[in-house]
Amino acid sequence: MFSAGTLAIGFAAINTGTNLLFLLFGAMLGFIALSGWLSERVLRQLEIRRGTPRGATVEKPLRITYYVTNQKRWFPTLAVSLIETGLPEPAFIGRLGAGESVAVGSENRFVQRGVYPLDTLTLSTSFPFGLFTKERDVRLPGELVIWPRSDRPVRLSAPPGGRGKPDFFDSSEGAPAARGEYRGLREYRVGDDPRDIHWRTTAKIGTPVIREYDHDANETIRICLDTRAEPGEAAEAAIEVAAAVAARAYRRGRPFGITTCTSDLDSGGGSGQFERVLDLLARVDFNPSAPHLAPPIDPMRCVLVSLSDERKGSYGACLVPADSRGGSLAPLGSE
Amino acid sequence: MSLDLLHRRLVVGMGLVALAAFAGGAGFEPISTALATVALTLAFIWQPDSGVSLRLERFWLPFALLLMLRALYHIFLIGDDVIVPVVDLLLLLLCAEALRSLDAPNDARLYVLTLALIVAATAYRPGVLFALTFVTYVVLANVALVVGHLRRKAEQHGIRDGLVGRRFLAGMAGLSGVTLMMSGAVFLTFPRFSRGWAPRGEVPATSIAGFADQVSIGEHGSRIYPNPKIVLRVEFPDGTPQDLSGLHWRGRSYDRFDGVRWSRSNRLLPSIGPARWYEAWGEGRVRQQIYGAPLDVAVLFALHPMLEASSDNPGIEPLFDNAGDHIYWGSGTPSYEALSVADGPLPAALREAGSGFSPARNYYTQLPPLPQRVSDLADSLTQGLDNNYDKVTAINDFFHTEFDYTLELPRSVQEATLDYFLFERGEGHCEYFSTAMVVLLRSLGVHAREVNGFLGGQWNDFGQYLAVTQNEAHSWVEVWFPGFGWVQFDPTPGGFGGSAAVTSWLWPGRFLFDGLQHRWNKWVLDYNLESQAGLFHRVAELLGGRPRASQISPDQAPATRVGMDWTTLIVVVMALTTFVLLMRSRRHPPEVGLYLRFRESCSRAGFRADSGVAPLLLLDELARTRHPAHARAGRLIDYYLRSRFGGQELDTLQRQEMKSDLSNVRRALRQTRAPTDVPRGPLKEHSDPLVAGVARLWRE
Repeated sequence: MFSAGTLAIGFAAINTGTNLLFLLFGAMLGFIALSGWLSERVLRQLEIRRGTPRGATVEKPLRITYYVTNQKRWFPTLAVSLIETGLPEPAFIGRLGAGESVAVGSENRFVQRGVYPLDTLTLSTSFPFGLFTKERDVRLPGELVIWPRSDRPVRLSAPPGGRGKPDFFDSSEGAPAARGEYRGLREYRVGDDPRDIHWRTTAKIGTPVIREYDHDANETIRICLDTRAEPGEAAEAAIEVAAAVAARAYRRGRPFGITTCTSDLDSGGGSGQFERVLDLLARVDFNPSAPHLAPPIDPMRCVLVSLSDERKGSYGACLVPADSRGGSLAPLGSE
Repeated sequence: MSLDLLHRRLVVGMGLVALAAFAGGAGFEPISTALATVALTLAFIWQPDSGVSLRLERFWLPFALLLMLRALYHIFLIGDDVIVPVVDLLLLLLCAEALRSLDAPNDARLYVLTLALIVAATAYRPGVLFALTFVTYVVLANVALVVGHLRRKAEQHGIRDGLVGRRFLAGMAGLSGVTLMMSGAVFLTFPRFSRGWAPRGEVPATSIAGFADQVSIGEHGSRIYPNPKIVLRVEFPDGTPQDLSGLHWRGRSYDRFDGVRWSRSNRLLPSIGPARWYEAWGEGRVRQQIYGAPLDVAVLFALHPMLEASSDNPGIEPLFDNAGDHIYWGSGTPSYEALSVADGPLPAALREAGSGFSPARNYYTQLPPLPQRVSDLADSLTQGLDNNYDKVTAINDFFHTEFDYTLELPRSVQEATLDYFLFERGEGHCEYFSTAMVVLLRSLGVHAREVNGFLGGQWNDFGQYLAVTQNEAHSWVEVWFPGFGWVQFDPTPGGFGGSAAVTSWLWPGRFLFDGLQHRWNKWVLDYNLESQAGLFHRVAELLGGRPRASQISPDQAPATRVGMDWTTLIVVVMALTTFVLLMRSRRHPPEVGLYLRFRESCSRAGFRADSGVAPLLLLDELARTRHPAHARAGRLIDYYLRSRFGGQELDTLQRQEMKSDLSNVRRALRQTRAPTDVPRGPLKEHSDPLVAGVARLWRE
């Protein structure tokens, strides 16, 4: 509208020859030029780092934090939006003085699990006059990992005649023997129990290490997710079921691991392990031509999550998502 | 003060300034201006809440409808000037918007209304005050637009903390200088090709005491009071004449006298001599650039005899009538150039002027019934003289020696007659003298006529022009000489003008202001293609160092010579600069330049960073000393190596990242120098064979 008005004034000036209209026309052009220059200055010399959480769950708010430093010597940065490609909600910087830093964030929600690559951050401003919008792209590679829901209701009871078969989710949680025998030391991973840190060794080498124990084999839940199927709602439901099983194992303090047709995660416990499982589930793809499932342990000690019940007899338990609302069936291991 | 309130006050300020711009021109309407000023001032100090704002909107509506109907009435039914009724409506809308609550989303409407008011102001010929209001408007608009934008963004994103401070606002106000510079540049350089419709600005014409379409000697009463209103501003492009006080600015002539009043006869036959007669008076010419104020008579004033009159103002068309008076068509402001003969004919030549072509009939020998003693007086004054010139000068000298000038008017009707003036009173103002001389000459059969105009003027040093005011209104005589045309004589004795000088103590300031006003009129309102060409020519002359054209008068300030050829100097400097920049840019690609600057910074910070040190070895050194610059330098080195040795062309984003990294590295290096306690020896070879190989290549 401002451009149209400028052109109208210019046209009137040329047509009427009124000199004062030329003054006005020039002033409006000056506003446009100043706007262009200032908006360019505002977007320059900004150092930006993106901080993302390790993961976020579907339909839960995900906050992305941007740490912005204004490297200009005199000029502040005002009214700049930080827009992530593909995300609806931008972050906004109101005012950032010269040489100052600020952390701003945006909150978005995702409706589907997966890995969302982040590549370009667009800085956008219509400062100073709101007449025009200027944008500048900043390359900030990264990714957002959206975990599947893990609150899908799962009813899983021990199979009848469970001798020799794992007791799923009957936990000896809290019992001293639940830890198993001492195996050795390994590097600390996020999520490990800090009480297991071996402080003497940690002090010696300068890196945290924890004591590792052999878990009782019967305590471990091995989730086997059969990804040999077409992707779709049913596949997503299966993933959510697998996540729910892992969540339950985590809550019950049972060590758990997961195997898919294309990947495998060693058993472990704690929040770290849970996050690793969710991470794996976020990245997994269903493919009818994927290799066959090959669990690292006796399948009878595994929980199979599959879209078909073909292999139900081979596994200790089999969960087939009935529909997207959950309601998993009881294990079909019973004869 | 909240952003909302600040923004509202800024915009109201814009409205007040725009109103001043409009009211300061010819569009001044006292009632609407006063009402709008009150309303806007109220809006400045009081902001109603939403409820009151809604009630006020209902209050404004009927008035708005009324004004709209009035505007339509003026446009379609009367066909009158449309701007004033439309501006009244604009003012009402502006006041209504300004008196809304602060949360009303009416920013754009307020901006548009104030801009419309400024545009309306340009339709008239505003004075130099417009310049001040325009500058103020631009500054306020600059700040208001920024504040308005930030305010909306803050609302949108829920930001409560102050986004702007005083320094920032002052900075933004200062940046409006950029806008003003652009405005000036466009104004000066945009070509003026249009001859569109005549500009408005029909300022109510001035009725001048002393100059009118009818001249009468019957006034009586107290005295003629001085009136300093300037009616002409005259520039002399070829040099200022020596005697400014003796310049007669001829206006209108009158042939018919009824004993009291002078007038022009209807259907006057051509009564002017051919142009060659006047051209033969002498070689000298005087060119005058005249800027006149609109009068109630469309007369082109100039020195007599005027040979040419031309105007670039499309609003007027110069022409002359049968009496030889120069007039114009059109309603524009008279701004024109006149060329006149500088000198009068020689007395000896006028004595030899015999009979010959004379004006038709007896227009210029007509006399009303007069007492016999008037013609007796004429006879007695010219007894023994055998040529018209001597007779004219005898009568002229009679008035100069025997009469006095006064602005005091006759006390009664009886004393206001010509007879009383000649035989009883012995003093009077210029119209008496000119009337008396014409009457005396006509009684001798000499063709003579009354002429009105102005005499002299006041030189304005500031504006370098002659300001002719209403005080200088004057009457004199023109006498017909065959072969020479109308020759002017002035019977009014000396002393004219002295007593008419403006005694106002404001005059010096007024002169300065008028000088500003004149420059404003000349260089802004009347700026045209010729002015542009002249300006560029003057700039070229200044740069070229050539002296100005020859001057007529030594009073003219001497032209300034420029010793150097500035144009050549500027061209050489620009060429050298371009060459240097080009050579620097062609020496190496940008990435290499950035790396070299990084290396130079490392060297200044105390690191060994000569050409024999490989980039990665330098990076290792930074890492080994745990220098803060190490973190940033890694990516810079990486990009450099990829570009320099890996054959990868960096894109724009990567180059920007390199520049950003360099800036951070340099800052870190300035703050922290290389540690001196670390023994310096030859740098070790990098363990990575590829890197070691690159390092060797670099050294080689």
